[in-house]
Amino acid sequence: MGLEIIADIRKDYVCNLVRGGKREEGRGFREYREISVERDIIKRAEGSARVKIGDTEVLVGVKVELGEPFSDTPDKGVIITNAELVPLASPEFESGPPNENSVQLARVVDRGIRESKAIDLEKLCIEEGEKVWIVFIDVHVLDNDGNLVDAAALGAIAALLDIRIPNERYGLTGENTLPMRDTPVAVTMAEVEGNILVDPNFNEENAATSRLTVISNADGSLSGMQKSGSGGLKEEEVVEMVEIGIEKAREIREKYLSPL
Amino acid sequence: MKEGTERKLIIDGKRLDGRGFEELRPIKIEIGVLKRADGSCYLEVGDNKVIAAVYGPREMHPRHAQDAKMAVIKYRYNMAPFSVDDRKRPGPDRRSVEISKVSREAFDPVIMKEYYPKMAIEVYVEMLQSDAGTRTAGINAASVALADAGIPMTDLVSSIAVGKIDGEVVLDLTGVEDNNGEADMPIAMIARTNTITALQMDGHLTKEEFKRGLKLAMGACHQIYELQRAALIERYSKSEGREEKKRD
Amino acid sequence: MYKVVVPGDFISEEAERAGEGTYVEDGKVYAMSYGIVEEREEIKVVALSGKYMPAKGDVVIGRIAEISFPFWIVDIASPYEARLHVSEFAEGRDKIEFGSMSRYLDVDDFIVAKVMDVNVLMRIELALKEEFKMSGVGRLVEIPHTKVPRVIGRSGSMIKTLKEKCNCFIFIAKNGRIWIKGSEADMNLASEVILKIVNEAHTSGLTDRVTNFLDSFRRDKEKGEEK
Repeated sequence: MGLEIIADIRKDYVCNLVRGGKREEGRGFREYREISVERDIIKRAEGSARVKIGDTEVLVGVKVELGEPFSDTPDKGVIITNAELVPLASPEFESGPPNENSVQLARVVDRGIRESKAIDLEKLCIEEGEKVWIVFIDVHVLDNDGNLVDAAALGAIAALLDIRIPNERYGLTGENTLPMRDTPVAVTMAEVEGNILVDPNFNEENAATSRLTVISNADGSLSGMQKSGSGGLKEEEVVEMVEIGIEKAREIREKYLSPL
Repeated sequence: MKEGTERKLIIDGKRLDGRGFEELRPIKIEIGVLKRADGSCYLEVGDNKVIAAVYGPREMHPRHAQDAKMAVIKYRYNMAPFSVDDRKRPGPDRRSVEISKVSREAFDPVIMKEYYPKMAIEVYVEMLQSDAGTRTAGINAASVALADAGIPMTDLVSSIAVGKIDGEVVLDLTGVEDNNGEADMPIAMIARTNTITALQMDGHLTKEEFKRGLKLAMGACHQIYELQRAALIERYSKSEGREEKKRD
Repeated sequence: MYKVVVPGDFISEEAERAGEGTYVEDGKVYAMSYGIVEEREEIKVVALSGKYMPAKGDVVIGRIAEISFPFWIVDIASPYEARLHVSEFAEGRDKIEFGSMSRYLDVDDFIVAKVMDVNVLMRIELALKEEFKMSGVGRLVEIPHTKVPRVIGRSGSMIKTLKEKCNCFIFIAKNGRIWIKGSEADMNLASEVILKIVNEAHTSGLTDRVTNFLDSFRRDKEKGEEK
């Protein structure tokens, strides 16, 4: 329980702080809130991770099931990423089918995993054109205090690191592990009063004119980006954000994505 | 509920997880785990992991569903897709709709709805990992979350299931027992008055087995009530202890 | 020491003393809230959480949410909105016409008001306090209304300390909104201390700790200035 600045003046409050070179809770502009990653915590899932960034909390579960390949990629497994913004997590979330926010969240998480080629899809093929493994990545948001994207993306790759292929359940034999080939990490920044804030919390997201998510791989290359919000960004801002994003991703990768 | 199969569920008078017939699985309760919710509770019963959040009282939408004299209770039980062996498709299905209704009605007798005309009191229960007894775990968590949200109630509600495996009436079935057992009977109860606020049964029980099972479940609800109450009381005594320590 | 109770806990046999936060069944008093028992003439349970519910006589800080002639609809940090009649404002002036209400109070203006009436349907009528308009000056913070008594302290001891040592004007409304006026640095200090009180609300010796905290802050600051 904390001190709340009333919604309508909260934006001014965040902006005033930023103009004075400060952030809520005394955080630096380039500083993440405290991160925690707990891996392999859901027994029914083939991989799972609970990620907290400050008060934001996300649970990602990976299920692996047998299915048919897409006809244009008969020798490749399938990744399906889904995000649920369940009403438990925020007074703003409502029950019902996925809305544009949950779809965007799922797609940005998916993009990082897919484009980094972290999962070797060919290894998921059992019988070309007939049987492949389908990897379901389900993002379950539990508490929304801003920056769901980074928490969800970190949860997804952390869950995949420990993925088990359930051969026995289908009477199959084969490799039960699937090593990841890369570890994409998403870093989101918000622009508030001309300043770049890493890991915006809920209040800062609302005060921001625009946000940029930069997803980068272990070798420092990019595998996905997404700008959101109604404001514009200048070339030098975007370039700076990409540099910060890659650097922060490196720190997070070293600290939280080492093998168990 | 399937007919009893060949799988033995009781060996040398003990259940597969080593429990006696009248023994609960271990229960863990944490309160106030979510920042954005008005009240919340994380609860584990054996391998079940559930989180409950309460929002409200807040304005009831849609407006035509408002009650001018009292609050409307909304209860949504939902399973995370990865909470079960075969991935569950996201969104409500017939099972979760039924469980939500039965659970909501379990709270109808205790929530003092008349204090909040036109409002909604919303309860959201997310199953993160399931191993039978999810609806009862959800009710236990919701009860604590409602108290945490400051919703006026005459009582807490406590809930547990009994069932029959290998011909024996036992308390608090696991998934293996539920899938291979002969009956399952979840109940919810107000411990202070021994009032039953939810009851379901499926499978096969004789009248005597039913009576014995009901007594067993009611006794267990008293145990669960004590755990719920202790967790709520503890929350404020603990914070004091911590602060005292900080001062030294 | 305080006693924490949960809904349904037996509190007393004296049904005639049953107060707020309790209910009577078969002549006995039980708790209906998760809260702390307070025994004076009445036996009350003071809730530890929950939304603000206005009562007649409360002084609140409200935000104009909507204009709906002849009322201003006011958000008072409660599930229920309150309303302020146009006549409340226009007393002694020319009659306010439909369409010109926003010239007096506009959407998002903050006001200090008194709750005049709450009826069974939760229709809430407000009256303006003198010095009601607070736009643009100072800072407004919101805390859970259940923590307001702690910020005020026993017979006002805490708020007195706060005002003196923080060098600020501080007004605490019943609905958990607090209006602070002072220099930027002083307002920051006041906000920080209020946060401390909110987070440690149910601990003993809080007033002393807050006093010590403020004294040491001032000492450090003076030392810093000397250097």
